[in-house]
Amino acid sequence: MAAIRVSLPTHLKTLSHVDGEIVVEVDGAVTQRTVIDAVESKYPMLCGTIRDHVTKKRRPFIRFYACEEDLSNEDLDAPLPEAVVSGQETYFVIGAMAGG
Amino acid sequence: MMSNESDTSLTPQEIARYSRHLIMPEVAMDGQKRLKAAKVLLIGAGGLGSPLGLYLAAAGVGKIGIVDFDVVDYSNLQRQVMHTTNDVGRKKIDSAAEHLSAINPEIEIVRHETRITSDNALGLIEPYDIVIDGTDNFPTRYLTNDACVLLGKPNIYGSIYRFEGQASVFATKGGPCYRCLFAEPPPPGAVPSCAEGGVLGILPGVIGCIQATEAIKLILGKGRPLIARLLLYDAMEMKFREVKIKRNPECPMCGDDPTIKALIDYEQFCGVRGEETGAAQVESSFETTVEDVKARLNRGDDFDILDVRNPEEWAICHIDGAKLIPLGELPMRMHELDKSRDIAVHCKGGVRSAKAVGILREAGFAKVKNVQGGILEWARAIDPSMPTY
Repeated sequence: MAAIRVSLPTHLKTLSHVDGEIVVEVDGAVTQRTVIDAVESKYPMLCGTIRDHVTKKRRPFIRFYACEEDLSNEDLDAPLPEAVVSGQETYFVIGAMAGG
Repeated sequence: MMSNESDTSLTPQEIARYSRHLIMPEVAMDGQKRLKAAKVLLIGAGGLGSPLGLYLAAAGVGKIGIVDFDVVDYSNLQRQVMHTTNDVGRKKIDSAAEHLSAINPEIEIVRHETRITSDNALGLIEPYDIVIDGTDNFPTRYLTNDACVLLGKPNIYGSIYRFEGQASVFATKGGPCYRCLFAEPPPPGAVPSCAEGGVLGILPGVIGCIQATEAIKLILGKGRPLIARLLLYDAMEMKFREVKIKRNPECPMCGDDPTIKALIDYEQFCGVRGEETGAAQVESSFETTVEDVKARLNRGDDFDILDVRNPEEWAICHIDGAKLIPLGELPMRMHELDKSRDIAVHCKGGVRSAKAVGILREAGFAKVKNVQGGILEWARAIDPSMPTY
């Protein structure tokens, strides 16, 4: 079981009633899909906000990052970097914001 | 790309004014002349536009255009430091021009008192070297991006919400554009605006200063600009992070085979929302007015008022007798409401309550109505003594 640190955009933190990073537990392979599955399982109110309810595709105003790299268009079933698996680095969900 | 500084000279007064720049080899006389010859367009004279305007004027950017059509409101003063209490009610463009000229009378301030639209954007941007996006809504961000890509002008991006900010430089030659990062805007209502969710007053100061720094670096041709990099700032953690942005070869705007070759209807593209001003999202039979709610209260009618704002907003002002259930808690707390009773639902301006009415109707509440204009309209039409925000 790996404890994965995940950073959510502010509006999703508000929606899920959390401050700062969240930690989700992933059993088995640590991939973007299993991490987001774990996030949605722990915070069901986030279902549909990060990925489309039906297609499960990333929403176009959301991006995924780890270790400064853009993973948004990478294979969702590819293993995440070891630094994320070990909890050294955070998996980032970044969202569009328009305030000015 | 930049305006030509070769026939620009500095007066003795300007040399005295810019002396701390002139003694640095990275700026020096050549760099200061470049700044003086530069033409920068600020889109928005609000939170981000304030530090941008103040610092670019002080730095000696020779021509600063400002696009804005709004007036200064008391609720702006917590962060829009280019405007003062005495400016409340004035056009932001006039207040901005006056204060920037006071800081630096040597520069030219051009007032564009208009809303930037698909019809005027190319004409507004074309005479400038650099565009700085200090807007507060998605339609204008996509419009600014697309116009900059079409004209080949760098777009210095910054955006803020609550305690977090983002900054980058888009639309440079070979670099990504805003659409490469966020291909499409969020659906209306999915991401709150600062008017709904709030913003730390200092935050636009931090992000606006980063944008101003990037503008000056581009003008000077020095340093490593934020191209293909997204800077993320978290004020609560006091952390800056940087992530890479790849240019998307399939981007409809700046990709290898762009499909968008002219400006489009950005209100339609973004689903038209803007600020929380009471835009109706429910059919008229499920709408009511503050006057009707007041009349029912006066008659002693038996009905409920549901306030779906957040507790922080309730603490500022609320209607006596209303029940507070924040929109985000509504699905879990519906059992606290009675389906057989009439319920008038309100929020700040009518958008969240429209969403709440939709949720309640889906759950079988047939007698719910959205109060048009929300508590802002109540304060305006029914109780002018009520504080607004």
